[in-house]
Amino acid sequence: MSAAARGDNLAARREVRLGTAVALGFSRRSARVVLALLAALVVVAAASLALGSLGISPADALAALRGEADVTTTFALERLRGPRLLVGAGVGVALGLAGGLFQTVTRNPLGSPDVIGLSAGAGAGVAVATLLVPGAVPAPVGAVAGAGAAIGLVWLATGTGFSSPARLIVTGIGVAAMATAVTQYVVAVMLRDQGAELAVYVVGSLGSRDLGHVAQIWGALLLLVPCVALLGHRLAVTDMGDPLTDALGARSNQTRTLAIVLSVLLAAAAVAVSGPITFVALTAPHVARLLTRAPGPNLTVSGLTGAVLVVASDLVVQHVPALEGLPVGVVTAGLGGVYLGYLLTTGWKKTRA
Amino acid sequence: MTDTTAASHTAPGTTARGLVADDLEVGYGPTTVLDGLNLTLPAGAFTAIVGPNGCGKSTLVRTLARTLRPRRGAVLLDGRPLTAWRPKQLAQQLAFLPQDPVVPDGVTVRSLVARGRHPYHSPLRQWAPGDDEAVAHAMDVTGVTALADDPLAELSGGQRQRAWIAMTLAQDTPHVLLDEPTSFLDLAHQIDVLHVCRDMRDQGRTVVAVLHDLNQAARYADHLVVMHEGRVHAEGTPDAVLGGDAGARLVGDVFDLACEIATDPQSGTPMVVPLARA
Repeated sequence: MSAAARGDNLAARREVRLGTAVALGFSRRSARVVLALLAALVVVAAASLALGSLGISPADALAALRGEADVTTTFALERLRGPRLLVGAGVGVALGLAGGLFQTVTRNPLGSPDVIGLSAGAGAGVAVATLLVPGAVPAPVGAVAGAGAAIGLVWLATGTGFSSPARLIVTGIGVAAMATAVTQYVVAVMLRDQGAELAVYVVGSLGSRDLGHVAQIWGALLLLVPCVALLGHRLAVTDMGDPLTDALGARSNQTRTLAIVLSVLLAAAAVAVSGPITFVALTAPHVARLLTRAPGPNLTVSGLTGAVLVVASDLVVQHVPALEGLPVGVVTAGLGGVYLGYLLTTGWKKTRA
Repeated sequence: MTDTTAASHTAPGTTARGLVADDLEVGYGPTTVLDGLNLTLPAGAFTAIVGPNGCGKSTLVRTLARTLRPRRGAVLLDGRPLTAWRPKQLAQQLAFLPQDPVVPDGVTVRSLVARGRHPYHSPLRQWAPGDDEAVAHAMDVTGVTALADDPLAELSGGQRQRAWIAMTLAQDTPHVLLDEPTSFLDLAHQIDVLHVCRDMRDQGRTVVAVLHDLNQAARYADHLVVMHEGRVHAEGTPDAVLGGDAGARLVGDVFDLACEIATDPQSGTPMVVPLARA
């Protein structure tokens, strides 16, 4: 992941060298940002465990991990708070990386896998799986199948796969609209009986997660993060246009396609365990860029920012009275909306040279 | 000068050093831009590719730089088709500066120039021996050392172009291709860039640049390639291509411009002077 932490100023840039075979670059500022985000994550995680009824203090949590806590605490950690926290953090990392990859290769600051219909497809898949043909497949399978179908449709409809950012986004918006139409149709036809399960997959929630979900999301990250790290090296030079990317040997088309495939897989892994938690993939890369002030994908920081965003938002829906019990997706969407407004009002004032 | 393509034709499989275009056909969609083009670029020389708008100059240089794939034929480097090279190995041989590269957000001159070292790195090895020297040298040659910590976006057009050229120099390749490196620069900065091209040649590199100004091309380049309608119309030294009555005829044929050829008072190279309207 240090590939993503390549700093801007060579004077402030350092390499970690292991013999002559390994040398990873990073900037001091990015390193400080990473440490700060890790600290923030620890704080919100501790708060998430400790607050409310059945709250687990840090000391109790450590005791439970050693197997020395009482039954109630162990139950709360293993069945209630722990999975919720770990799924949230994993989903946040996946979404932050997905957004960072996507925005880097499409050179579109408003890009994320959501824009090209991933979430809408997942929602439609769940609507069909739970309402139209109930019992045929479990809801998470419907979500992944729906997301896969939507992205597959985008791939085919562009005529050029994922290599043209402009076509990708225009086609994706169309596919997302179609998928939303499917969801609305199913909901309108079948009405509210199974609405509760559907709501989770239309908005995204971390309630009632178990250790199986934890294994799913962190297993996916274990597989995908090394691929992201390998690709990060090439991504660092893709922001100068395709001809120059090719001239430096970084294969613009192949790199872009791989990045979008990884982005979609990461977002799909997140959707499968939590439903579509919107705006995290969109916002995390921007926050990362603001923090590091470095060009390039900033993937490490983006992933950590995603984790902090999701865990903090989940803390809000668990403990802020007016929002209590709402799916976490409501809060991230609210935050994202505010951020989007900020971007539109201030971001475009800065003229691009 | 007439068509000299036959003389410069090199059959595939021969192991000529340097860059060779062999029977290139290149196009976009239904349009064919280059049609059966053959060209051998003289090694260690500064070649200027000139020709009227739409003649295929940029298409040619982009195909030579393997950012465009030919429909037919091949570009050979040291006898091997570009498609047979591993991208990073090729990027250690051949640098290319496109006409309008995207300025990355927030990048400084030094970090831009350092990106030229990408072909020497790998995911686990983002530093290579010689990086610091190559970056410092490239900034020195192009005169941007004093601007090293300035954001690229805040530089003037001329400074920015020098920074881009420094990046291609840091790539440390025997071949450097530049697509219209002087366009959109004022005259002093145009001359500046042409001097940098010559300096690169003096270091033993093969330099190829698409240029618009015939007089600058004649003055600074060792070898001219005149393109017309997707083919090489003429090539040779500036004197051979543009000199005398033959030169005036060539400009008439290719650019549809009536002119006389004078002698550049500074360099003694041919100088195209358009005729006044009668």
